[in-house]
This record gives sequence, C-alpha cells and structure tokens, in this order.
Amino acid sequence: MRGTHVANKMDRADVADVSDAPGGTKQPRRPTRRYWRAGFLRGGIELRHLLRNPKEMSGHLTNVVVALLIAAYISDDVPGTDTPMAHLVLAGFAAYGLFQIGLINLPQMLVTEREEGALLRLRATPGGIPAYLVAKCLLVVVTAVGTLTLLLVTTALLVDGPLPHGPGGWLTLLWVTTLGLLAVVPLGAAIGAVLPNPREALALIMLPVMGLLITSGAMFPLTMMPGPVQQVASVFPLKWMAQGLRSALLPDAARAAEPAGSWELPMVALVLTAWAVLGFLLAIPLLRRAARRESGSRLSARHRKAAQSGALPA
Amino acid sequence: MKTLTPAQPIVQVRELTMAYGDVDVLRGIDLDIHRGEVFALLGPNGAGKTTTVEILEGFRQRSAGEARVLGADPERGDDAWRGRIGLVLQSWRDHRRWRVAELLAHFATYYPDPRDPTELLALVDLTDQDDQQVDRLSGGQRRRLDVALGIVGRPELLFLDEPTTGFDPQARHEFHVLVERLARDEGVTVLLTTHDLVEAERLADRIAMLVGGRIRACGTPSELARRAAAQAEVRWTADDGTSHRERTEDPSRLVWELHRDADGPIAGLEVRRPTLEDTYLHMVHREDDGRDAVVDGAMDGEAQAV
Repeated sequence: MRGTHVANKMDRADVADVSDAPGGTKQPRRPTRRYWRAGFLRGGIELRHLLRNPKEMSGHLTNVVVALLIAAYISDDVPGTDTPMAHLVLAGFAAYGLFQIGLINLPQMLVTEREEGALLRLRATPGGIPAYLVAKCLLVVVTAVGTLTLLLVTTALLVDGPLPHGPGGWLTLLWVTTLGLLAVVPLGAAIGAVLPNPREALALIMLPVMGLLITSGAMFPLTMMPGPVQQVASVFPLKWMAQGLRSALLPDAARAAEPAGSWELPMVALVLTAWAVLGFLLAIPLLRRAARRESGSRLSARHRKAAQSGALPA
Repeated sequence: MKTLTPAQPIVQVRELTMAYGDVDVLRGIDLDIHRGEVFALLGPNGAGKTTTVEILEGFRQRSAGEARVLGADPERGDDAWRGRIGLVLQSWRDHRRWRVAELLAHFATYYPDPRDPTELLALVDLTDQDDQQVDRLSGGQRRRLDVALGIVGRPELLFLDEPTTGFDPQARHEFHVLVERLARDEGVTVLLTTHDLVEAERLADRIAMLVGGRIRACGTPSELARRAAAQAEVRWTADDGTSHRERTEDPSRLVWELHRDADGPIAGLEVRRPTLEDTYLHMVHREDDGRDAVVDGAMDGEAQAV
C-alpha cells in the first residue's frame, strides 16, 4: 500500500482518494531508492551469469590470451626508442579491450535483450528502465576494469609487461580509462538502440572496429601508416585511448615514436570528451525511442522474421 | 480497498480509433471493463485486438477517442500506474539465463508491496522448477512464469495477450485452470485477447467480439449465445427448384406463411438456430471476403460493448 501515495498524485480527478494503510503510519519508501537497489541487484546477477557462462567469458579472455602470445613472441624495440615493442602492443590491447566492451559487447547485449523482450518487460515494470541502465553501467564498468586488470597483471607477471611508472602514471591510467569508457559506452548504447537484430549487428559493427584496430596505432606505431590513414584514424576515439594508455604505461622516452613526438594528453582528453558528449547526445534520444517503440506486436513480428530465417525456433 | 470507486469501470474506452496511414485498424470502439471480471476480446488475427490492448497498455498512441485505464490516460501512465497493471505477452523469450526463482524474486524488488515469490511459484505450479534455467522451461511452464511475473506486483488489472497460442491441450487446460484461479481466488481483473471462441467462452465473464476494427457484439457468453440463436435461419427449395434462405426472429410465422402460400409440402424445409460459433464464424468470414457491409446477423445493433 506504500505505492498508493504515489499513485494518488496521478491525474485522476474522477477517482476517490481512499486513504492508505491503517493509521497512515507507513512512510512511503522513495521509489527512486527501490529502483537503484533493483539496478544494483540486477547488475550483480548479470555479472554472476557472465562469470558462469564459459562462452561469453572466453570472448573476454581471448583478448588477454592473444595479447600474452603476441607479447611473448615480439622481441624488438619500438623504432627509435629502447622501449620493447611488446609494451606498445600491450597498451594497444588494453585500449582495444575497453573499445570492444563499449562498441561490440554492449551493443550486442542491448540488441539481444531488445529482441528477446527483456527491454519490453522492464518498460512494463515500474522503474525497470532506470534499473536496466544502472545494471548495464555496473556490468560494463566491472567487465572493463576486470579485463584491464587481468591483462596488466598477467602480462606483468608472465611476459614482463608494462605497468604505470609512479603515481602520475597510475593517475593517467585512471583518467584515460574512465574517459575512454565514457567515450565509447554511450556511443555503443546508441548503436545498440538502432541496430536491427543480433545477427546483423555483429557483422555491421565488426568491420569498422577491425579497421580502426589496424589503423589506430594500437598494434604497431601509427607512424608506419600513410598520412591520410593517420588523419582518418585520429577522428576516432581508439587512437586517443591507445595513445593515452601508452603515456600511462610506457616510459616517457617512448614518446619519440609518437607522430607528434609527444603524448598530446590535452588532445587525448579533448577528443575523448568530445566523443563522450556526442555519445550521450545520441544515446539518450535513441534509447528513449527504442524503448518507446517496443511493444508486443513488434516483438512477435521480429520473432516471426527470425523464425523464418531459421535463427530461432518458431 | 484503494483506488477506484466501486462503480467506476477499471477500463473505459470511448470511440477509440487507430489508423496506420490510410489503413483504419480500429474504427470506433467502446468498452467498459469492471473490477473483478475476466473480459475476453475475441477476434480473428488482424481484427485489431493487439492494437487495442497495446493502446490500453500505454505502448501505442491512439489516433482518436478516449481511453482510461485505472483512472488514467494510458499514454500518460507513470511508474505508479505501471505498477498497478500486469502484462503477459505471447512473445516473451527474455531472461533466458536467469533461474526461475531468481527472476521472480528480482522482479519483486521493483514493486512496493510484492507477492511472496515462493507462494507465487506454488500458485503457478512451478515450485519444482524454481532452480531451473528459464530457457529450459516448456512453452506452458514459460507462460506460467510470465503470469507469475505479471502478477508479482499485485496488479489490479492483468493483460493476457493470446496466452495459449501454440499450446498442447494439456498445457492449455492447465493455463485455463490458472486463469480461473487468479480471477476467482485472487480477484484480479483480467483482459484476455484470444482468437479462440472456446477459450473465451470457458474463461470470460464477458466477451467482446472484435471484427474488422469494430466491436460487433458484447455480453456474457450465455447472452451472446441467446442473441445468436434469436434469429433463426429458414431454408427451403421453391417450386422452381431454387434454394432460399432467410433469417428471421419468428421462424414459425415464416414457415406458416410458406405453407399457406404453397400447395403442399415444402421441399428441403429446414429451421436452424445458429450457435455462437456459427455467428462468430459468419462475421469473420464476411470480413475475410473484404466486405465491410454492416453484418446482417444476429448481433446487429449490439455493437455497443457497454
């Protein structure tokens, strides 16, 4: 009966206002608090499901394993410096890991859950959509921080991988990671809101992401790329995430190998902030639209289509 | 008791219309659903059932007309309003990885005064499956879980959208028993959509027949059956060999007149009282023919579902 207070605020002129619990002693618990709680509980449960799902876990662990293998096989130095090439690659993998969580895993998750009807169920539940967003943020942050930590710790232990030098380095690692996630997560949410279905979604996202992985200087020095390619890659966040993480993980002397001859940290902050702002501006209306458009008949129509293409049992 | 005054219908719809572009899906619907009743919206596929229900659920904007659900306009229903309605859709396949009890307990946290998840699992007969992963449930079990999720927040109104589509007879029977129990023991008002007359007759206190975007008849199953049978069909073969059929409220008089005008026995004379099913099929059939003329059957003039 606690909800009655809230319910009575509605536009219900024709409705008798019948009083609440006996004596009216119960204070209505603020629904916002309940929704936050539901969101955190949901995030925790989704995280537990992720940890228990070998297929999905292996997707996240593959990056770490591949990074380990590559780092173990590369022995030369970054041209013009005495920094091991492996460190540059590992910093690139760290950046790519964040990029992938925001722009591949998150949109896929959103599209799948939209198609299965989870979004519709939450829309039909009081506070469901806010709780969903809280849960997804929690899931993304924990996965990102978890895989990043795993990558840095295992490579540091097994292949002498890089770790930040001093408090300044850790601080840079922290802000570049945070800003990098802010740059890709809203963008990924926006992509997830517009992509048609999980099967086409992966194909549509993978190609540009792979292109950026090669051209953004994450795997080898950007200076090896032709000028126009470098310029195109500088528009996208991956280049700046990788550069920022290199500045945190590599010794200062390694900046000699950067195209600008410096880490360009203000530019890193600026570009990532710009993407974050753009992502939020796109994500909020697109997610609203996606949630608003969900209804039972749309869901059935999509299921029929999926069943016809043989992707789902009818 | 909270909320509405007793006389106030829980759902009130007046002259509801819906058009997608040039296509009129709903052409002026009136509905009143009262607290505690099981109301079936019966109609063939494409009649506008889903559109009607989605407008009432607040998922779709109507083109024109009035709609009040639990005293509020569904287009402006807020979270508190959402908390007072429950939904069971036929196409939900979500939360596949969750365990049954885990999912139900989680959805209980969204509501101010939820039901006890354990009791609820017993009510929908899923106690043995409580630790099972949702995507391992059978179709019938999954739908019963959807019902549990739909009522965990103690809704005053529950929407059931074609809940037994694709069920085998056993699962169907179990589901019907569950809906009856909900209505009888729990006092939940239910709006059920179905294209199955037998299901509507079995479950509903009142049935509205929605064909071609209009409500063609509305009443209790026995009222409808009586009304359907009110007009009998008389068939006979005339002297020139042509067969005739005529609908009349007074078949006895027609037969008497036929005999009076005839010299002897009338060939092929037959008087039939149509069943509700005949009438329903007749309406659906006419609609399929693309004829939108006023239905000439027994339900004429009964198009107000009030």
